[in-house]
Amino acid sequence: MTQDACRIGVDSGRPVLELAGDWRLARLPELARALREARAPSRQPAGFDRSSLAAIDGTDLSALDTAAALQLCRWLRAGGSDPSSIELLGFEQGHERVLRLVARTSDGQDESDARPPARRGALAALGASTIAMLDMLRGHVGFLGYVLVEIGRALVDPKQLRFGELLTQLSRVCVSAVPVVALVTCLIGLVFAYLLGLQAEQYGANIFVVDGVALGMTREFSPMIVAVIVAGRSGAAFAAQLGTMRLNEETDAIAVLGLSVAQVLVVPRVLALVLTMPLLVFVGNVAGLAGAAAIADLMLDVTPSTFVSRLHDALAPRHVLIGLAKAPFFALLIAVIGCRMGMTGPRDTRTIGTHTTSTVVQGIVGVIVIDAIFAILMQRIGW
Amino acid sequence: MTEPVIELRGVGTRFGSQVVHEDLDLTIGRGELVAVIGGSGTGKSVMLREIVGLQRPDAGSVRLLGTDVWAADAAQLSALRRRFGMMFQDGALFSSLSVAANVAVPLRESRLVPAEMIEPLVALRLAQAGLPLDAGAKMPSELSGGMRKRAAIARALALEPEVLFLDEPTSGLDPITARAFDRLLESLCEDLGITVVLVTHDLDSLMTIARRIVVLGRGRVAADGDLEQIMASDDPWIREYFSSRQLATGQPANAG
Repeated sequence: MTQDACRIGVDSGRPVLELAGDWRLARLPELARALREARAPSRQPAGFDRSSLAAIDGTDLSALDTAAALQLCRWLRAGGSDPSSIELLGFEQGHERVLRLVARTSDGQDESDARPPARRGALAALGASTIAMLDMLRGHVGFLGYVLVEIGRALVDPKQLRFGELLTQLSRVCVSAVPVVALVTCLIGLVFAYLLGLQAEQYGANIFVVDGVALGMTREFSPMIVAVIVAGRSGAAFAAQLGTMRLNEETDAIAVLGLSVAQVLVVPRVLALVLTMPLLVFVGNVAGLAGAAAIADLMLDVTPSTFVSRLHDALAPRHVLIGLAKAPFFALLIAVIGCRMGMTGPRDTRTIGTHTTSTVVQGIVGVIVIDAIFAILMQRIGW
Repeated sequence: MTEPVIELRGVGTRFGSQVVHEDLDLTIGRGELVAVIGGSGTGKSVMLREIVGLQRPDAGSVRLLGTDVWAADAAQLSALRRRFGMMFQDGALFSSLSVAANVAVPLRESRLVPAEMIEPLVALRLAQAGLPLDAGAKMPSELSGGMRKRAAIARALALEPEVLFLDEPTSGLDPITARAFDRLLESLCEDLGITVVLVTHDLDSLMTIARRIVVLGRGRVAADGDLEQIMASDDPWIREYFSSRQLATGQPANAG
């Protein structure tokens, strides 16, 4: 049976749209085609034009859902008829209700209202993101001041400090980070010594590998690598933890209970990271030098005891101190960014994801910027 | 009688040693508007999750629209999922999409709807759910709780479901919004013939719209019937449940 879903017929001298069969969402494309064809001039009953459509006949209609009814209403409106007042013939009660409901709710709608605003042009987008970045930077500086004041308050009045939370954070950011820090710095020390060794060997200057590795590892590589690992581990964790707690209104609960969100959540995290980052850098120094000593022994004929005695002569303590001194600054930057990214922005799940990613990126970029500032300062004072 | 829309037979559920359902039987026919009530932990939401195929019961069978949910293959399941809608307690809107895009997700994914009809259909669904059209351009985080629930209904209605499941549709809404929600559900059931199953704690909803109330207790259906039948029940929990209501409404009279 290939019955048309609709056609325009004549009923007591008036043009009537006759519907038949299943008018359902699953058949929308067919129905659209049928409606288009019903309007083709060749199929119009002689002497009538479509704008004078008088009624709809639903006698043969077996099903009508809202999607199909919407398509019909739009077709009627496009043809100049009003679907809420057009006469309905032979409609089942249920079908009539659906059609009238859809006619009523879709009346006078401008669908484009539901569309999100159009995208900005490239230049406007560039400007907007620049302003957003500056805003964020200003916010970070403000938050840094706030955190320092809160830390000061905790130091003046140690009762405010949450020792339990601080210990938990110390264990999370430091103790559990030791294996990964040791592994990564050891491998870097190994590769670094190998590359230096390839060059030094050509001049028979194997022993100077110790000088290079010791200076490079303690002053630059170890602090930097540790900072990158910590930004990925702890910075991201801070942003995600605090973001989730905020989404869950736990931070609001803390505030309503009369506690300070900063003291309960932020200060322990920042303090833990600032206190332990130099320790992690020291672990990195030792592991990196151990890796280098291993390669020196295996490939460059520098025995471990020669390595250590050369280390004593070649490595000035100031290089180690500069490396260790950078660590708390890196830590403060990472912790402040992580906590602030967790505490700001809209409260939805997407924000937690984007802010966590952004924390890691900002942390690493910030660490490199601080490192460059240190390098310039040290060069100025001749260290 | 035509085939029931939902048919639970001997459903058993336990979490560890805690028994949630034991030999639970329930049949719901086409076009019914059923409210499921029960104390905390009686497994109301769990039952919904078992019917829609999110959580496997430990025993028994669940038939939805003639398909055995837990014996169906992937193709049958995805065909079945087009025929019902579910509204989660807090809406569960996708937070990275605008409201209109949320409603459009089922329309696009079904591949049944021609592209030029998606926008008008989204607009119709928003209007059906009682949302102003400009709400469609907003992100879910910009909506109030009541509007989020309406947006969730709009998404659940997208594909003309035959059955609509709602988990606490009026919780957290003010009474006026909640009553408007009740009327919405009533009209979906009456005008469009959708079978509506809701889990609720809202006594006003129960009194105004539920044609049939199912009370869960001690792992099975403790009572089942219209409001009068349920109120006449001598189950202690049901008596306490409805008397809490009388106390609450009685108080202002005493005070004044």
